[in-house]
Formats: sequence, C-alpha cells, structure tokens
Amino acid sequence: MARLSLAVALTVLVGTTTHASEFRWASTTDPQTMDPHAVNSTPVLSFLNNVYEGLVRRGKDMTLEPSLATSWEPLENGGGWRFYLREGVTFHDGSAFTAEDVLWSYQRASSVLADTASWFSPVAAMVAKDDYTVEIRTKAPNPIFPDSIANWMIMDKGWSDANEAQYPAKDGENYATLHANGTGPFLLVERDPGLSTVLEPNSDWWGEAEHNLTRATFTPIQNPATAVAALLSGDIDMINPVPIQDAARLEQAPGVDLIRGTETRVIMLGFDQTSPELLSGAGPNPFLDERVRRAVSMAVNVPAILQTIMRGSAEPASQLVPAGLRGYSEANAARPDLDLDGARALLAEAGYPDGFSFELKCTNDRYLNDASVCQAVVAMLAQIGLEVTLDAMPVRNYWTELRADNFDMYLLGWSPGTFDAEHPLRFLAHTPVADLGTWNFGGYSNARIDALLPLIQSEIDESARQAMLDETAAILQQEVAYVPLYVQPLLWGVRDGITVTQRPDNFFMLRWVNLAD
Amino acid sequence: MTDFPTNQTQPGRFRRAWNSDLGWSFRHAPVAMVSLAVVLVLVLAAVFAPLIAPHDPFDPSTLNLMNGFSKPMEPNAFTGDTFWLGTDDQGRDVFSTILYGMRISLFVGVMAVAFAMTLGITLGLIAGYLGGWADTIIMRVADVQLTFPAILVAMLVFGIAKGVTPPEYRNEMAIWVLVFAIGLSDWVQFARVVRGAAMVEKSRDYVAAARLIGRSRSAIMLRHILPNVLSPVLVIATISLALAIIAEATLSFLGVGAPPTQPSLGTLIRIGQGFLFSGEWWILAFPAATLLALALSVNLLGDWLRDALNPRLR
Repeated sequence: MARLSLAVALTVLVGTTTHASEFRWASTTDPQTMDPHAVNSTPVLSFLNNVYEGLVRRGKDMTLEPSLATSWEPLENGGGWRFYLREGVTFHDGSAFTAEDVLWSYQRASSVLADTASWFSPVAAMVAKDDYTVEIRTKAPNPIFPDSIANWMIMDKGWSDANEAQYPAKDGENYATLHANGTGPFLLVERDPGLSTVLEPNSDWWGEAEHNLTRATFTPIQNPATAVAALLSGDIDMINPVPIQDAARLEQAPGVDLIRGTETRVIMLGFDQTSPELLSGAGPNPFLDERVRRAVSMAVNVPAILQTIMRGSAEPASQLVPAGLRGYSEANAARPDLDLDGARALLAEAGYPDGFSFELKCTNDRYLNDASVCQAVVAMLAQIGLEVTLDAMPVRNYWTELRADNFDMYLLGWSPGTFDAEHPLRFLAHTPVADLGTWNFGGYSNARIDALLPLIQSEIDESARQAMLDETAAILQQEVAYVPLYVQPLLWGVRDGITVTQRPDNFFMLRWVNLAD
Repeated sequence: MTDFPTNQTQPGRFRRAWNSDLGWSFRHAPVAMVSLAVVLVLVLAAVFAPLIAPHDPFDPSTLNLMNGFSKPMEPNAFTGDTFWLGTDDQGRDVFSTILYGMRISLFVGVMAVAFAMTLGITLGLIAGYLGGWADTIIMRVADVQLTFPAILVAMLVFGIAKGVTPPEYRNEMAIWVLVFAIGLSDWVQFARVVRGAAMVEKSRDYVAAARLIGRSRSAIMLRHILPNVLSPVLVIATISLALAIIAEATLSFLGVGAPPTQPSLGTLIRIGQGFLFSGEWWILAFPAATLLALALSVNLLGDWLRDALNPRLR
C-alpha cells in the first residue's frame, strides 16, 4: 500500500509546476513525526533541525555553535552549565522565545513519554535565573553536556499548551506530530505523512540565511530505483541515500553529482536477552546464553557482505562506534573471524547441536540495503544450523514492534548524536531503566557497565576516560551484547549546480542548500 | 509442429479429440500450437523444478553470498562457479529461482482461478436459475465490485488478511492469502456468464422435464444446467489464468505478495528492478521474459479457444 501511495506522490510531484528556487529532495524514510521529542532517530531529528532549534547546534564540520543560546559556561565546582539565551527570537507563530520555553522543553523532552529522556539523565535541575539565563544543574560534573543536547529542540510552551500537545506521542498521534512551531530557518507549511512535507523559509529567522530557497518539498520514495530514476530525470533535486549498486552509475551520469562519505552509523545485530522463551514459544530463549550469541558473531561473514551487497563501499565494525570517533577503543578493534566449525561447536556446547529456529526482525527502508543484509545473514546462519524466519518491515512499524519485544534477533543501526562513544553506552548498553537504555531493546544488562557510565560522563581526564571506555568496549565484545557488522557509507545524489553540505551524522540541513541561478 | 506427441496409452480418446471440430481448429492454428508448446514446457519445468534446478533457492544454507551478482555464463570472480542465467544479490542462481518462482506463480494462478470459478459458477447459477431477490442481490454486488479495479480489490483483501494473521504465520499464509485475494477479485466474470447462460437454459424443455419428475433445484442446477454452460466458462477460465498470473506478479511486485524468501516471478522482478540501473540486467530480464512468455501463451491459447468455441466464427 505504501509503495502505491509513493507512486501516487511521485506523479503528483511531477505534475506540479516548479518554482525557480524550489528544492525537492527524497529519501527512503519519511520522518515518522514532526514532534522533536517523540522519536530519537536520525530521519526525524535531521528533518526537524530545519524547523526547530536547540540551545546549541552543530556546524558544517560538526563543531558546536551557538544557536538559541549565545554563549554558555560551566557552573562553579562542576555543578552544571549556564546558558545565556538569544534575545529577540520568535517562534513561527510569533510568540517570543524566553527561558520559560527552555524549561518547558526540558520538562517535555525529559518526561517518561519522550524518547529523548536519556539526554537528561545527568540533569538534576533546570532553573531560569531570568528571562534569558538558564542554569542546568547536573548530578555530577559533566564536561560533554553541551555536546549531548545539540538535538534538544525548543518548543513554545504556549503553543503546546493551547494545542494539547503537552506530552510527546511516541507511537500515537497528537497535534505536534503533524504540526510544528519552532524558531528555525524553515516553517512547516504542509505535512502529509508518507506523501510529502513542504517547508518554506522563515523570513523572521534570527540568523543570516545562507541558502537561496523559496520552498522545499520532501517526498519519501521507498523504492531506491524509483528515486534514482527521479533524480536522473530531474524530478527530484537530491536523493539520500543513493542505492549502493547505483553509485558507480551516478558518478558517471551527466548532470548529477555523487557525494560520498562515511556515516558514523554502525549497523549491528541485537538479541533478546531477557525473555525466557523464543517469540514462537517453541522453547527456551537460546540467546540468553553468551555462547550462542558468540556463535552468531562467528558465523556472520561480514567481509562477504561488504564485498557483494555493500560493493566495497563500507568498513567493518568491531564496536558500537566507528573508528576515529571520540572514545573509540583502539584496544578492541578486532572483529571475530569467520569460523563456522567453531560456531557449530559453541552451539553444541550450549546444548543446541542441531541448531534451532527463531525470528529475525529487520527494516527494509531504513538502512542501506538493510533487507538484503538480513537475507544474507539468514543464509549465513543456516550454515550453522540456525533456521531463521526473516520479518523485514518498513521502519514505520519497526520501533513499535521492537518496543513490544516482538523479536528474537533484530537489526539496528546506531549513530551517536554526541559524536562520542559514551552515547551508545547510554542508549544501547545500560540496563533499561526509566531514562537510560531506552534503545536497549534486547535488555542487555551488565552491572559494571551501569557503574562505569556515570563515571565516564563526569570524568574530565581524557586518558582515564578512555581507559573506562576501553573497559566497556571489552565487556560488550566479551559478552557479545551486540554483533557490530559494518559502518554505513553515506551516498547522496545531487543534481549539478546545487551545493549541499554532507555531515557525517547524515543530517541534511536546508540552510546550506544553494541552487544555481 | 505437426508431429504433436501422441498419447500411447489411450490412442482412441486422443484420436477422437484430434479429429473433433476443436482438434481441426487447433491443427489449423499455428499460434495456438506454439502457445500450447510454450505453456507445456513452462508448466513441466515448474512441476519438475526440484529435478531440473541446479540449486534449491529456498534452502538458505546452500547459498554462498560470494556468488552474488555473477554474470550469466561467466565464472564468478571469487568462487569460479558458473551460472547459466547469473545470480542475484544473495548469490541465488537465477535459473533455479525462476523455476521455483514459476511454481508459485502457476500455483497461485490456478488455485485463484479455481476459487473464482467455484464462487462465480455457484453464484451465477443461483442468480440465473432462481432469479428474483437472489439474482438482484448477487448481480448488484457483482456490479459494485466491477467498478473497482481487480488489483485494488486484491490489495484490499491482502491488507486486511495481513492485519488479521499472526506474524509468525504470515509467510506461510501469504500464498493462500494471494489465492483468496486474486480469486475474490475475479469471480464476477464467471458469475455473469453463467447467469446469462443459466437464464437461457432454464426455459428449455429438458429443464422443465427435470422439474416435472421432481428433481431438487440444486440437482437441476448442478446436474442439468451446469454441463450446458461450461464451454464459455472454460474460455473465461483460460483467459483468467493469464490475468491471475499477472495479478499475482503485480501484487508481489508491489511488495504485498509472495515473501522474498519464497519469491514468485513478480517478487523476482521487483528484486531485479533494483539492479536495473547498475547493470545487473539479468536479475530482472530473465524472470520478466519468463512471465511474459507464460502469460502471453496462456492468453493466446484462451483467445484461440474462444474463437474455436464460438459457432458464429466457424
């Protein structure tokens, strides 16, 4: 059904007369919501960064820049941070931006109903000193706190009160999932989920516009070949991602540029590590046994996946963050080698000499070639006697299914929003509690990691911090909490004459787009 | 083309058919003969797929990912294996996948037509023979359904069925849901034809006679009227078969049909379409050519049958 509606969307798009500086871009995934606190995923946060703004933001080179805060400084004795807010900023509906909105956005984004709550787990309290000064008091010294809130977007208190959107609707719907009222450089003009989303420049924006757009239309196109055809025919100005198999062709095609990079996203397999039984109810859950998880990690032939499905344009991953990222553990850079006999022996040792059957959940429109990779994993696990049922689904229902524990094993891609190895520990490795381990769907739990996380967050000495991060990386590898597969490449296709800026977090900012005259 | 294989065990029946009016028409229609030959080859290939196919594409443990994207008739750069029609992204042999995929396409097509035929004939007989309210209700429902494109009805049924089946059975159920969805979208034609024919037949003397000796209504419908309305049904069934195969391919192409681990021809075409721009044409071209050959020859056969059974064209 979704595919059909996309086809319809595309024809509608083709039929529209285009304005001189209208920009049309497409991606495989529609941002699920327009609520900046409801879903902590790149498609949502990246899109909403055009509409909403945080106190700080990231520049073209990922450095932290002032946004709604003009400056910030640590509080005395490492007690937190003080932010000085920008004056004279208005929301899209005209109401003024003040400290009240910051406090309100804190309350909203840190509530248990929000998907962003873990960003605020180090926060003890938030206090407005006056209309334009906010103090964020942390439970312990937190040197990277400003980095960790670059995607915390500020919402107007009056607007969310008036529209009864006081709390984010993670899997449901409310006014804020379909409407937006930020301070950012673009206004949300039309929102038609799954069909198209239209933005127009905010003429009252406080910043200097670097773009020359008058209108920007986003269309999700789930079928990669359709997206490439749309780009080549000029119906679309930019697609993200370009299917890996078409990268070589687009590089040679006239009128189109291919922009390559490496995303900071690690693609990995996760396991159900809490349910006593398999999803099918056919028996006890073998993934509770570390040896079974290790057998899986030894049976997945990552070099073959990279060679064929990823066509040599991705790097293998050994841990939850890619090499080169702050906090990456050089000491744990080795991946398990492919060893089918070893894997079979481990399964036999764990009591499964004849293997077992289970379900693998997977997206089919979220990561590059995700469904193909999962299919290949199914074939590879079949070699060690594991009979895998693959359930590949659109990302629209995926997180809901994972939250409902409807999986034995699943595919996940993680890109650390803070550009630091501490980020995945907080979301993926910490035991799931109120505001930590919120994306740890499998329920992996290790007391040592839970104890190390606050220490890592408050450690100021770089080498002591790295030692702790090394320890966590070692534990995660040892217990096979996840099976990291590879680092996803970034491939954008852009029509000639359009300049865009590609950031390694795969955020696409309209405010840096320039169309040729 | 004239040395049509003779059936040695029952020469009498075959000879009678060969010499009948239909046989005469067949002997003088080269298109029909070629079509029949193509259909027979494809159906036999599908039926005996496990014996012919070099691989079992449904057994993931036999796949080697490094064989992925092998070109047709060329040894793979890493493994040295050669595949007649190349391999897809998972290293699956395209030739084997087509044979197995055709089984699913044919199975879904035949079962869907059988279902549509049963439903259509039953409702058509009731409407035509009983008339009155039953006729009005059945035929208005049919009219309403005719205003929807068949593929839309099939998608609707498929969507609902997917919603109500538990996820663990979804893959196994997918084939039967396809049969049901396509069958349900196709019964109207059968019902209309049978109703028309039944209305003509019911005023004939033999029906009146059957009624006089006290046969029940269902017996009259099934034993007396049905055999006399079957020849147009046969024509529709043949043409419907081609349409059902295409409908299945369309649904699978749209991603709502056969699951990727059990690909039908439509699923294969959908997978192959993703590699069209990147130069791996064989993943798309061979399944598409097979679907074309299958649907076209069944359709041509249906066309010939319609003309041959039409007394006005003789």
